[in-house]
Amino acid sequence: MITLGSILEIKNFKMYYNTQAGKVKAADDISFSLNEGESMGLVGESGCGKTSVSMSIMKLLPENAEIISGNIYFNGKDLVPLSEEKMNEVRWAGISMIFQAAMNSLNPVYRVGDQIIEAIVTHEPNVTFEEARGRVANLYKLVGLDPERMDNYPHEYSGGMKQRAVIAMSLACNPKLIIADEPTTALDVIVQDTILRELDKIQKRLNMSMIYISHDIAVIAEVASKIAIMYAGKIVEMADSVTIFKKPAHPYTVGLMSSFPSIRGPKKELNMIPGEPPNLLNSPDHCRFAPRCPFATDECISKTPPYEEIEAGHLVACFHPQNLKRQVSANVG
Amino acid sequence: MSDEVVIKVEEMNKFFPIKKNVFSRAHNFLHAVDRVNFEIKRGKVLSLVGESGCGKTTTGKTLLKLYEPTAGKIIFLGKDVTRLHSTEDKKWFHSKTQMIFQDPFESLNPRKTIFDIVSEPMNIQNFGSLKKRELMVMDVLKRVGIAPPDAFLWRYPHELSGGQRQRVAIARALVMKPEFVVADEPTSMLDVSIRTQVMKLMMELIREMNMSFLYITHDLAVARYMADEISVMYLGKIVEHSGSEEIINNPLHPYTKALISAVPIPDPEFKRKTVDIKGGIGKPIDPLPRCRFYERCPFAMDICAQKEPELLDVGNGHQVACFLYEKK
Repeated sequence: MITLGSILEIKNFKMYYNTQAGKVKAADDISFSLNEGESMGLVGESGCGKTSVSMSIMKLLPENAEIISGNIYFNGKDLVPLSEEKMNEVRWAGISMIFQAAMNSLNPVYRVGDQIIEAIVTHEPNVTFEEARGRVANLYKLVGLDPERMDNYPHEYSGGMKQRAVIAMSLACNPKLIIADEPTTALDVIVQDTILRELDKIQKRLNMSMIYISHDIAVIAEVASKIAIMYAGKIVEMADSVTIFKKPAHPYTVGLMSSFPSIRGPKKELNMIPGEPPNLLNSPDHCRFAPRCPFATDECISKTPPYEEIEAGHLVACFHPQNLKRQVSANVG
Repeated sequence: MSDEVVIKVEEMNKFFPIKKNVFSRAHNFLHAVDRVNFEIKRGKVLSLVGESGCGKTTTGKTLLKLYEPTAGKIIFLGKDVTRLHSTEDKKWFHSKTQMIFQDPFESLNPRKTIFDIVSEPMNIQNFGSLKKRELMVMDVLKRVGIAPPDAFLWRYPHELSGGQRQRVAIARALVMKPEFVVADEPTSMLDVSIRTQVMKLMMELIREMNMSFLYITHDLAVARYMADEISVMYLGKIVEHSGSEEIINNPLHPYTKALISAVPIPDPEFKRKTVDIKGGIGKPIDPLPRCRFYERCPFAMDICAQKEPELLDVGNGHQVACFLYEKK
């Protein structure tokens, strides 16, 4: 059933939050697959459900979250029905995560090295303390930290060093897949650049799979070979990164691409997407981008567009995909 | 009139004392802003770019007298405003200058209505009758894209989205028609699609009201879009200053080069050249009299450790503080 070489396969996955006001459709019919050694970017604005998707893969969901349907296959095994204990075996050893605002995810009262050692001995009980310490020293070298800094506390590290330590921690148990949720958002440009290059190098060297989650398409362009664009709980477009940037088909992607200022090339006017991202509470059963879309027709507000392949490897959920016959829609918005 | 200088800063310093405890005397000083010079003409936008901790926000706040400058001069509309003593002078200065803050979730009082928030500058200035204030608030709300304004007047900030809140913050800053506005990372907390809307709105308003803007940002791409001129700051010092296109296309200072080369490009086929600089940004506590970028600079020379480079013009109004470009 599983495509050869795919490490993660998500099929028609639906996860809603139950709130007093109604259901929040944070992940609505999400499907994608990721091959071994592949890096994918999940792009979207805040509140579009990208973090919900990653938390669903790790099954670190709050109590009011409800998985409605769908499967998440990791290495051929469905994670959705797994018990908490079984899931603990997958977490960190199989899939690990670099959390958003990683600088705050280190415990301030423990030495940084000890926190990584703890992750190792928890998941691999037959590893001795000394062996674990040796492994952490190697990890430190891998992420560009001085192993002598292992016995320092987090406050003695700079922001970039904390980020490196958190990356070292995510690598501690040799995971097959790492989910990096906004790994560089809180960092300065120069530090961001070195961290991204480091991550890219490690990912290629260890042949790991990565999912980068970000709102910044420029960051994603640097590291991901495949990009999925999320809007209001749904993936609206997915393709390899060159196609997404050169031939975006969904009007939202088109708008997103032209609303980013760049320092390269001639200075150009920015296009903007009118309106605001919708609230996911009780989302309607039609295209969710329709109220902001310049190409919307009656069809768009009466039914949900199917998520279809418009050309090889290029999936779009839109009744009016753009740029198909190279017609450039420069005047979106 | 277009060449009129609205605000001019001469050798402005802002030092913060560092005390071991509340009772001890300060023996060390953090040189947050160190001998900064610039001027902004009417209707022009100057962008101050730099990493966090480089002193760009302190510069903005000192300009608006939210901090007292330690030394130097601030000249606003031809008048020395470095020390304002009389209440009238203070009122005059603060009615002509405004600030837009980074986080619209923090900068609006959650217990006040939109009308109260936007009309507060007029209350402080004792401006006009209640009727007039209401009309002006409606006017400015409509202008910043809060429509229809009367539907929003009596709402509270928590009922608004992030983009709407930042629009309200802009409305509050512009209701008294200021001549000079400091905007401190006004779009960095907003989502991509909203960010472009707010940037475009600010550009329109700047042109329409012929305001002068100091636009503080860490994002060079945003600075390029918004500003006529860019000043790059590093540890309290302006290291390079020029027209925005000139700085982006022809950076001179090694730090500016590194900064520009580190900006990710939204094009997966484009491979950036990277300039490697060592280490991370420090803190300018009692800095030695030498180039502040010395430890990290790949081109550091002996002279860089001996004295501080001055910001010098290398032609076409392009100023750089680096010994590499100093004529022998």
